[in-house]
Amino acid sequence: MTNTTIGSVRFDNVVKKYGAVTALKKLDLSVEPGKLVTLLGPSGCGKTTTLRLIAGLEMATEGSIHIGGEDVTHLTATYRKVSMVFQSYALFPHMTVRENVAYGLTVKSVPKAEAAEKAENGLELVGLKGFGDRLPSELSGGQQQRVAVARAIVLEPEVLLLDEPLSNLDAKLRRHVREEIRQIQQRLGLTAVYVTHDQEEAMAVSDNIIVMRNAEIAQQGSPHDLYEKPNSEFIADFIGDANLAPCEISNYAKDEATIVLNDKKLKVPYAGTQTGAAKLVLRPHHLKLAEPSKQGFEGEITYAAYLGKEIQYTIDTEMGELFVVSSVVSNPFAIGNRVSVQWDNAHTRLVTS
Amino acid sequence: MKKLSLSWLMIGLVSFIFLPWHMTEDGFLDAAWIVDGLPSTGLFQMLAGQWWHLPALLTFIIGIVLQLTIPNPVVRAKATLLSSSIGLLLIAVQGLIIVRAGPRLFEMLLTGETIIAGQPGMGLGAGLVALSLLFVITTSIAQSGKGQGDAFVIGAIGLIVSLVGIFVFYPVMHILIQAFQVEGGYALGEFFPKFFSADIWGLSCLVGNHTCGVAINSLFLAVMTGAGTTFLGLSFALIFTRTNFRAKKLLRILTVLPIITPPFVIGLALILLFGRAGTVTEFVAELLNIEPGRWVYGFWGVYFAQLLSFTPIAFLVLIGVVQGVSPSMEEASQTLDADRWQTFRYVSLPLMRPGLANAFLLGFIESLADFGNPLVLGSGYSVLSTEIFFAIVGSVADPAKAAILAIALLTLTLSAFMAQRLWLGKKSYATITGKADSGQNASLNPVLRTICYATALPWAALTLVVYSMIIFGSFVKLWGYNHSFTWDHYIRAFGIDFASGRFSGVAWDSYFTTLTISSIAAPLTALVGLATAYLLVRQKFVGKNAFEFSTMLSFAIPGTVIGVSYIMAFNFPPIELTGTSIILIIVFVFRNMPVGVRGGIAAMSQLDKSLDEASITLGANSFTTVKRVILPLMGPAILAALTYSFVRAITSVSAVIFLVSAKHNMATSFIVGRVENGEFGLAIAYSAVLIITMLAAILILQLLVGARKLRRTDRVQQTVSA
Amino acid sequence: MKKFGIVPLLALVASTSSFTIAASTTTNADELNLVCSAEQDWCDLMVAAFGAEHDDVDVLMVRKSTGETLAQIRAEAGNPKIDVWWGGTGDPHLIAAEEGLSQPSGVDTGELLGWAQNMSQISEGKTVGIYAGALGIAYNADILKKLNVEPPQCWADLEDPRFFGEIQVANPNSSGTAYTELATFVQLFGEDQAMVKLAAIGKNVNSYTKSGSAPSKAAARGETGVSIGFMHDMVNLATQGFPLKIVAPCEGTGYEVGAVSIINGAKNEDAAKKWVEFSLRADVQSRGPEVGSFQVPSNSNAKVAPESPDLASIKLIDYDFATYGSSETRKRLLARWDKEVGDPNPQ
Repeated sequence: MTNTTIGSVRFDNVVKKYGAVTALKKLDLSVEPGKLVTLLGPSGCGKTTTLRLIAGLEMATEGSIHIGGEDVTHLTATYRKVSMVFQSYALFPHMTVRENVAYGLTVKSVPKAEAAEKAENGLELVGLKGFGDRLPSELSGGQQQRVAVARAIVLEPEVLLLDEPLSNLDAKLRRHVREEIRQIQQRLGLTAVYVTHDQEEAMAVSDNIIVMRNAEIAQQGSPHDLYEKPNSEFIADFIGDANLAPCEISNYAKDEATIVLNDKKLKVPYAGTQTGAAKLVLRPHHLKLAEPSKQGFEGEITYAAYLGKEIQYTIDTEMGELFVVSSVVSNPFAIGNRVSVQWDNAHTRLVTS
Repeated sequence: MKKLSLSWLMIGLVSFIFLPWHMTEDGFLDAAWIVDGLPSTGLFQMLAGQWWHLPALLTFIIGIVLQLTIPNPVVRAKATLLSSSIGLLLIAVQGLIIVRAGPRLFEMLLTGETIIAGQPGMGLGAGLVALSLLFVITTSIAQSGKGQGDAFVIGAIGLIVSLVGIFVFYPVMHILIQAFQVEGGYALGEFFPKFFSADIWGLSCLVGNHTCGVAINSLFLAVMTGAGTTFLGLSFALIFTRTNFRAKKLLRILTVLPIITPPFVIGLALILLFGRAGTVTEFVAELLNIEPGRWVYGFWGVYFAQLLSFTPIAFLVLIGVVQGVSPSMEEASQTLDADRWQTFRYVSLPLMRPGLANAFLLGFIESLADFGNPLVLGSGYSVLSTEIFFAIVGSVADPAKAAILAIALLTLTLSAFMAQRLWLGKKSYATITGKADSGQNASLNPVLRTICYATALPWAALTLVVYSMIIFGSFVKLWGYNHSFTWDHYIRAFGIDFASGRFSGVAWDSYFTTLTISSIAAPLTALVGLATAYLLVRQKFVGKNAFEFSTMLSFAIPGTVIGVSYIMAFNFPPIELTGTSIILIIVFVFRNMPVGVRGGIAAMSQLDKSLDEASITLGANSFTTVKRVILPLMGPAILAALTYSFVRAITSVSAVIFLVSAKHNMATSFIVGRVENGEFGLAIAYSAVLIITMLAAILILQLLVGARKLRRTDRVQQTVSA
Repeated sequence: MKKFGIVPLLALVASTSSFTIAASTTTNADELNLVCSAEQDWCDLMVAAFGAEHDDVDVLMVRKSTGETLAQIRAEAGNPKIDVWWGGTGDPHLIAAEEGLSQPSGVDTGELLGWAQNMSQISEGKTVGIYAGALGIAYNADILKKLNVEPPQCWADLEDPRFFGEIQVANPNSSGTAYTELATFVQLFGEDQAMVKLAAIGKNVNSYTKSGSAPSKAAARGETGVSIGFMHDMVNLATQGFPLKIVAPCEGTGYEVGAVSIINGAKNEDAAKKWVEFSLRADVQSRGPEVGSFQVPSNSNAKVAPESPDLASIKLIDYDFATYGSSETRKRLLARWDKEVGDPNPQ
């Protein structure tokens, strides 16, 4: 075992079945040490199962799991060097905050004084110094969340697992706590696996995102890659907002394809080798509105919402409804106006289904 | 895990070498061999010629060698599993074949002086050898399999399965097999005509002036009792939660009393009140100038007594459920313009369905198993429980008939279980979401409130009268005829000769035995019950449904059957327990275990599973998790299980009658004897003392729960103010 | 892991301590395991008296009804935990003898009355009669007075419609007492006629109880007007203060013989024999009335209490225990009873 593998996680052909139901189909996955990787996907996609397999709370039906280069496939949660932050926090209600944080240490027979000191350090790290004597029920949701994090990290786990840790917090607090989690993770150099169904949260905290769908991985990569280079309609739609315009790929060359979109021929970036039906991904903020002209596609504004820093429009066009975010807030278009929707083809992406 | 297997193997080996293998005349623990040099340990017995103990020794030696020589853990575990299983099997087989009178089977093969001499029952040495092998096996399974290889969990499953197997299935089989017995052998063909005979299932009471089959009688009574107690229990629960009734505390005590009343007492009190010469009957007869009737003997009397006895159980089930119906759902209904009746009818009541089903099921089963009330009041109305009793002890003993009736009773119970599951289906009835719910439960609409009061309050009044009568009866010379005050009954039962300091009362012996045995049995029952609940709720394993079912089995079998089957199974080697207090403790533990299981399941379901998982991912094993997280959070459930198993051990009678011995006589069997003799005063005085004893025990346990709560709120207040 | 290894050790300690509490199964040489099927007080008196004479024998006594005892010694056959069974009606004792569950005691029956010796002869010495109790009719004087009904004198009176709904008797299927009544009728009137008479009485019966002593208790409390049962039970109730009057039927009546048996394979045979000898002694048998047991003692020299039903004044039939105690006759008679008399009390 070399230093570089400590904290790495690797799945080889992992299958998980519950009776007849397959929760995970042949999953290959690897997490590099010191990175925060997010498992993102709609509910029922297998992301939580994957997390629980890493934790050892579920056992793989087939395949093998390595943590820190060591085969842990048959090891139960007790003996894996990972700790987990639960969606419900799972703080022990009958123990004080300090007892909660020190729990993992005391079950490992760490001397009391040392455990108490480490627990205090952990609480300090999450900004809860001095709260040690309280019961969890006397803390706010955000504080409870931080106790849960402190409890997990005082064990100095190889991998920190977080299962939708922010879902019980309100929107403002959520941003604050997720920044804290990211900071602590980076400061301690922890490997972390984070499960969420909120793509914005995932984009904000992750080094890497693994998007899951129907018990398998749909796409993985950095937040930027996923946003800019979705490989499927699902990803394009799931990561950020997207308009998906049906089109036809008539032919393709190196890095480029010619498509037919509502009788218009366009040249757009394309790396694939398929012709026929496809969808053109148009991000709302890449679309520009202008007075009607020969350029672009014409449509009628059916809805407009003024949000201060931007205006959101819904426009009825020949290729269907388009969602447009415009940062031009002076002189807005009104509902019923006819406009021309335009974009730079370099910012589009083709996905085949 | 290697260490764990090794330490169990060592314990087994040490037990084999140093502890007496067999039970001696003086019991399990006879230390005499150390002093007088008579070797009785497994090793010495073997060297003295009992060659059949060799496999035990070999198993340990092979096991230890395997541990030390095979490096691959999975291979080692599989090898150990195989050798230990064979070893355990051989030990069981020798125990079952070679009894006191020598070999039972294979007489041709097994010859020789020592084997013909036979052997007594297994003792401490053999017990520990078997136990250690069992744990070696479970540890090896934990290690060799792919599953959640937790030695503690698999060990616990193995232990409970073995215990249920030995103490429920093994004895019950002894008696059920007799259902297939014909002269000189067994036959399957004879069973069905006997089982489906009109004596059991006949419906002729519907069409003519004949009696129905005894199972139909039982079924009818059980359905009526189940429905009646559920209805009464619901009325009480609604009064408690949805009205501003003033005397709730008094009601509460009244609902506890019948649970802690020894059998027969309610029946006797009913006769004295409502019998033909009863107080109430004579009063009414004089008032209305009608002929006093004998209605209390037969169906109506039994039904009446069962309603009095079992309503509290329904109430205890329902109060939790009624309280659990989330106020916000009722509020939601009301904001949708439903009136209070509609809210109750379409929202609250359906949400109480699991509670209603459980209450009905419990009432149904209790009624089927009830023995005391039909015996005292049943008269011509035969039910299964009494018929089974008299098939065993009647003037013509017919064990085959008893077995067939027992199977009929089991059939009814199991059908009720199935029906309940079907009815509840897979709908979600979760109302406790963990979010704080600050709303208020809807109060009852006036009609419903009147109905509740009209049903529950007469019941309460009647209970009050019955218990006053009991107290009264214990202080008068001859209940019903000579009502002059006397202490005689108490002095006879619980007199103390202060001059010599002796307990001269006739009841002291059985009183102390009962308290001792119940106090030992209660914590064991709670332990086994809660451990089973933990496995059922929190662990996944193969055969879980069958496991759950088997733990419920002993509850559904009538006590008489259990009692006789225990004698048949445990009077002979390999397990010889009759005449000891152990057999009483065991019968209580396994008969009352389902109560602990149900209570535990309910309590455990309220604990979010992520608490266990958090503990486990923090590096604690299952054992530590149970000890430090689950148990502390289950305080009330543990106390409830303790209380109930304590009370049931004191009040149970039918199973105990056959198992009591001179040294270990129980209070209920003593009381039954006095009732048979017509010494009602003494019997009732004794019952009154038992009731007070149990009340005291319950109060002490409740105080413990209260104390725990107090400390917690204290702490909260301190930190808030600081 | 280190910690986990402790669990087995704890288990060892725990199991050892739990075994200690419960220790000790049975029998030292100086113990006697006695099941007593007579009234509790009589049992207590006997044990105390025996203990006073034999301080080397520790008597462990438990009271159980005859049916329960028979069921228990059947289940324990081959390895009995009971040494001697004293008291209770003779039929189950005879059945035990017939099934080889008891063994001859070899005691001298010379001083005993004829019916007690008879018992011993039928069972080849395995069970010996210790007392007799005649079957009789009891009525609640208050009730009959209130109803203005003439008390019964004979079995035949019970067929009279004036007792409609006032008679209580046990069911012979569950009660030995009621079986004795059935057998008595058969011996008095012949089998066919007995069934006719029983059915006629049955029309007046309000309830066939499970237990044999229940009808007289019910009559004592006024729950029923008339009961059939053993006279000594009735005497006991009457002395307690209930308005119960006892009738010896004019046609003659049968009786039960209470018995004592040593269980086959008893571990303390010597002590058991001492008990049997002791229980047959005249002075011991004379003491029953002290505790309200008014059965007639089997020892011809024993004193009979004045309250006891005087067997000499009662027309006793020559009860054939050999025939009517056998399982075969019993099954046949009960089957006929079920068919021709039955339980007329459908609900």
